[in-house]
Amino acid sequence: MKVFTILLLIFFCGSSNVWSSSKYEKLEERIRVLEKRKTDSKPNISSTATGLSNRFNPALSVNGLFLGTYNDEGNYDSSKEVRTGVKIQELEIRMAAYVDTFLRADITLAFEGTSNFEVEEAIAEALLSKNLSFRAGKFLTPFGKHNQLHTHAYPFIDLPVVSEEILGEEGLNEIGVGASYFLPTNWFSEITFQVLEGANTNQFNGPAGSDFAYLIRQNNLWDLNEETTMELGASYVTGKNSLSPPSSFDNKTQLLGADLTFKWKPTGREAYKTWIWQTEFIGSFREQTQEGWYTSLQHQFAKTWWVQGRYSGYTIPNGINKEDKNQWSALLAWVPSEFSAVRLQYNHLNQATADENQVLLQLNFTLGSHPAHKY
Amino acid sequence: MKTYKLNIIFFVYFVSLTSVPFSWAGLNIITTTQDLASIAEELGGSLVKVNSLIKGNQDPHYIQPKPSYMVKMNRADLLIYQGLELEIGWLPVLIEGSRNPEIRLGQRGHLDASENISRLEVTVGDVNRSMGDIHPFGNPHYNLDPENGFIIAKSIFDKLVELDPENKLKYESNLSQFNQKLKAKINQWEKQMEPFRGTKIITYHKVWIYFAQKFGLVIPSTIEVKPGVPPTTKHLAYLTGLMKREKIKMIIQSNYYESKFAHMIADKTGATVQTLPAFVGGVPEAQDYFSLFDKINEVFIHNLKSGS
Repeated sequence: MKVFTILLLIFFCGSSNVWSSSKYEKLEERIRVLEKRKTDSKPNISSTATGLSNRFNPALSVNGLFLGTYNDEGNYDSSKEVRTGVKIQELEIRMAAYVDTFLRADITLAFEGTSNFEVEEAIAEALLSKNLSFRAGKFLTPFGKHNQLHTHAYPFIDLPVVSEEILGEEGLNEIGVGASYFLPTNWFSEITFQVLEGANTNQFNGPAGSDFAYLIRQNNLWDLNEETTMELGASYVTGKNSLSPPSSFDNKTQLLGADLTFKWKPTGREAYKTWIWQTEFIGSFREQTQEGWYTSLQHQFAKTWWVQGRYSGYTIPNGINKEDKNQWSALLAWVPSEFSAVRLQYNHLNQATADENQVLLQLNFTLGSHPAHKY
Repeated sequence: MKTYKLNIIFFVYFVSLTSVPFSWAGLNIITTTQDLASIAEELGGSLVKVNSLIKGNQDPHYIQPKPSYMVKMNRADLLIYQGLELEIGWLPVLIEGSRNPEIRLGQRGHLDASENISRLEVTVGDVNRSMGDIHPFGNPHYNLDPENGFIIAKSIFDKLVELDPENKLKYESNLSQFNQKLKAKINQWEKQMEPFRGTKIITYHKVWIYFAQKFGLVIPSTIEVKPGVPPTTKHLAYLTGLMKREKIKMIIQSNYYESKFAHMIADKTGATVQTLPAFVGGVPEAQDYFSLFDKINEVFIHNLKSGS
């Protein structure tokens, strides 16, 4: 400091004709500011003494889904999922962080309505070696494409009727462990194997605690050109069920899934246009067969606008529970940013009981630091 | 005779064993943008193989994390990205999904090119998303100040030497060649742009602040109301007024933005709209880091001359 002042003085004296006194004052002022800044930036480290710190808190985010519904049928039936009214469709609270150099954890807690609480996902994940990753916890299993999505990331407001009927409202969401391997091919190819609790009441829930379900999925993605990708996947799950009374037979359920997705985004206009065409087939084979499919088309036609359509069919082809229904959906979404959307959806449900016409209006928002979504 | 044959077989076997893993001895580098690829290529020369994930005419904010990118990253020895949250919407998913332990954060095969950049527009104090799509750690378009080319090159050079110390001398000579060429080019660009110091322009997004700072251009406002937010009619009216008052004759925007708003204002103010590449590869002529600025400056000089 002293040296600096002396240097300044020398400067000042040596060239007093050039250096006016106001310039000197300005320099002094700057020195004062810089010195002040130095003392201001003195860190305040108290965690050594308190043991409390916010530094390593997980990234926290909340997804809020508010839903208004109109249904022209069955509004007095309180067991119905879709009734005229307003509700909190879901609040998802997500926490994600690295646990240590080895593990990463990702937890999603969900409130449906205002009091129904559920641990939607609690995942610990590690990369065991090159290409091989491992996960344990409770998670939305990779049975097809749609089943892996959190409610806020659904392409439509609700599930396609086939998923809802076969896997249930919560989907195939299980506690388990699994490994996923990146195959050394020239295109993206991955194989996943998981051992699951098998608790899904629609399909599994075998009589013994040890009745696990086993999942295998293989999926591939190719770049058809710079702007278009094609993804093809197949999934299979097998496990015991307790849906008919225990017998000498193994009450075995086998689930089969196949999915095909095309995505297109124009190079250089990524923010403005998209086409997505996704089709999935799901079948459940046990003492009765349930099967169905959906196909959906999503089109982004301007920076903040999407228009979408979906057809989903579902059937129990034979037996006493024989059923056949299908659902047509159309959706218009206004998406001002990646953190919020207002979506309006119309459903027409053809079924054995009275057909239903539903109108759904959803406000969807993301608060905080939310991990980027997968492709 | 027999032992002779056996020897040959052993020799061939031995050679094939040792040669297979070294069939590509060089470093396999993946970058996000083509600018980084261009500089990495200059430094690595024949010792490296460089591929960029995205093209210079793509909007880096809106890239989808395609699993096909993961395949490229899976086989990479080094990942270089622009940083400052430019790639936040897709790179984390790719790093995680590529299942390549070498390129993860904190590993030797991981390089954030913004590390040593002196950043502009770093937010001080609290930020929130009502401010639009802001990058709190600073504006990520630092590649558009050619002076930053030296800094990016130095960061990449250090990384190459760290990963491949045997070829240090080669990298050193490549670096000094790159620096000399860039120095000469910057002199040329500075001279070309000198007459336009202080000229005011309007841009679509805050892509050009580093460029403007380097060449002394002034950007009083942007067409976007806030980063990532398209303009309202009120804002367009304000801009029209501003441009008439300040006699602003030029609107520039990166070529991945829609230009309808710019043309609406241009029609009312008589200004010209120029779409410019913001990255190497943005237009075919901008094939490397040097020709990117050649192209940008050519457009500027042409327009500012005819405008005045």
